[in-house]
Amino acid sequence: MLASPLRALGTLGLLALVAGVAVLMVLPFYWMLVTALSPAADVMAFPPQWWPSRATLEHFQYALQKAPWLIYYWNSVVVAVVSVGCSLLFGLFAGYAFAVYRFPLQNILFLLILSTLMVPVQVTSVALYVLLSRIGWVDTYAGILAPNFASAFGVFLLRQAIRQVPLELIEAARIDGAGEVRIVLTLIAPLVRTMLATVAMILFLGSWNDFLWPVIVINSANLRTLPVGMALFKDPYGNINYGPLMAAAVISTGPMLIAYAVSQKFMIRGIATTGLKG
Amino acid sequence: MRSTRRLIARLHARRVWHAYLFVAPIVLLFGAFRVVPSVQTLVYSFYRVELLRGRLTFIGLENFADLLADPTFYRAAKNTLVYVLVIVPVSAALGLFFALLFDARFPLRELFKALYFAPMVTSTVAAAVVWWWLYNPQFGLFNVLLRLVGLPIQPWLMSSRTALLSIILFSIWKGLGYNMVIYLAGLQAIPESLLEAARIDGAGALQRFRRITLPLLAPTTAFLLIYNSIQAFQVFDQVFVLTSGGPAGSTNVVVLDLYRQAFERYNFGYAAAEATLLFLLILGVTALQYLYSRRNEVSY
Repeated sequence: MLASPLRALGTLGLLALVAGVAVLMVLPFYWMLVTALSPAADVMAFPPQWWPSRATLEHFQYALQKAPWLIYYWNSVVVAVVSVGCSLLFGLFAGYAFAVYRFPLQNILFLLILSTLMVPVQVTSVALYVLLSRIGWVDTYAGILAPNFASAFGVFLLRQAIRQVPLELIEAARIDGAGEVRIVLTLIAPLVRTMLATVAMILFLGSWNDFLWPVIVINSANLRTLPVGMALFKDPYGNINYGPLMAAAVISTGPMLIAYAVSQKFMIRGIATTGLKG
Repeated sequence: MRSTRRLIARLHARRVWHAYLFVAPIVLLFGAFRVVPSVQTLVYSFYRVELLRGRLTFIGLENFADLLADPTFYRAAKNTLVYVLVIVPVSAALGLFFALLFDARFPLRELFKALYFAPMVTSTVAAAVVWWWLYNPQFGLFNVLLRLVGLPIQPWLMSSRTALLSIILFSIWKGLGYNMVIYLAGLQAIPESLLEAARIDGAGALQRFRRITLPLLAPTTAFLLIYNSIQAFQVFDQVFVLTSGGPAGSTNVVVLDLYRQAFERYNFGYAAAEATLLFLLILGVTALQYLYSRRNEVSY
């Protein structure tokens, strides 16, 4: 508080301000939930019905009838798990190689990987789509995953973490006869598990919420991920039905918000220390 | 002696082999799906690309000439620029303000921090769908609340005058927690002893903030300005959901225009030219901000 010119506010004023803005921050989530659980008559009421006159699941039933949410879930899970799994595995080995070995072209290859951070998928999407259409990957899981099999941030962060591991430990393992692959998997991986977990969380979040690339590369309804399904559920024929729409929003954001409620300290710290938001 | 050297050489050779094996997956995947498409996008921007016929025709700078003469692109570029210019400084300023508040100790601090951060972990699409409902001019909560307190209701997303601002409000809500948390980490890295010393020397709170806290936060500020600019130039999800670029093109942005040109009208060459311009813009702004922040960096 020494740093702050806002000290004059006093604890009570501070608390009032922070709590007031917190209400604004949470209001959209609250209203999403209330609209999803209220009978249709409440939704358009004036003055607003802050608490459902009776809780009902009819909007959820309608939403579940109209779109295959379970399939969307499954697709999101498959894409996120494969993308995070591959990124961690490739990132761990590449991070180890860049941290421990000295080899020709090392710096050039490392810079090549980092340079991809400068060119977002928004910029590469045009040529990537053309490439994938040539190899028949458009409208497949592989197509959604193509730019996400590996993560440059993952390699960078894991390399930094592995650099902290004393070389003597690795030498000792080598003298004991451990092969390099085993060293990475059984010695290095447990030592950098905090960074692995952080990278996994950030990549999972990014994959789970990704929209632009999936919406470009997917045409079939049964390959849609949750955000794509959500965006296309919004306005199929121009008729607007807010209750089911909010039920769909609850279905689509619920698991992530629950995961966040359980592990918010870990998630906030991970994002704050790496500076990345998925 | 010779055999030892040979042994070392053999070990080293094996490690080199390992090294290439370990970096191969990521280098090959990135080469194929990131680096090649980046270069290819640049190349395509000089071609007419007919995907279905598999035909490429070199047309020089025609795509760029068309682009610069296109009022739709001009509008999208202007909207994107306005979006960036508003959201980048406002997000940083609000992030700093709330980080200063949260730097104090008060009851339920961690809970409030988690609530501020919650929009950050929600998918932009789902959150934007919720705001689309809040912005409904007749029954949406925002206008209902305005009516409740007797203020004039707003057209929000329905008017070309307010639509872009409404999208900006959404994005500020979405990113506030992130900006705050990053600044909070920066604040907590400032040594207490510096501020204590200044206080003993009689520096007031405002003076301590301006002379010590703010300069020491410069790297954090630089990071946020660059990172937020890059993200803001690529804004897409919330525009797609909230307005699809309307009304009358008032919220069309570069990436949305690129998306439409490429994947609705199949003008791949034209879209590639847009992507190239976007990339140059991002690169330029990043370089400028980086150089500027380097010049003004302070260390104690």
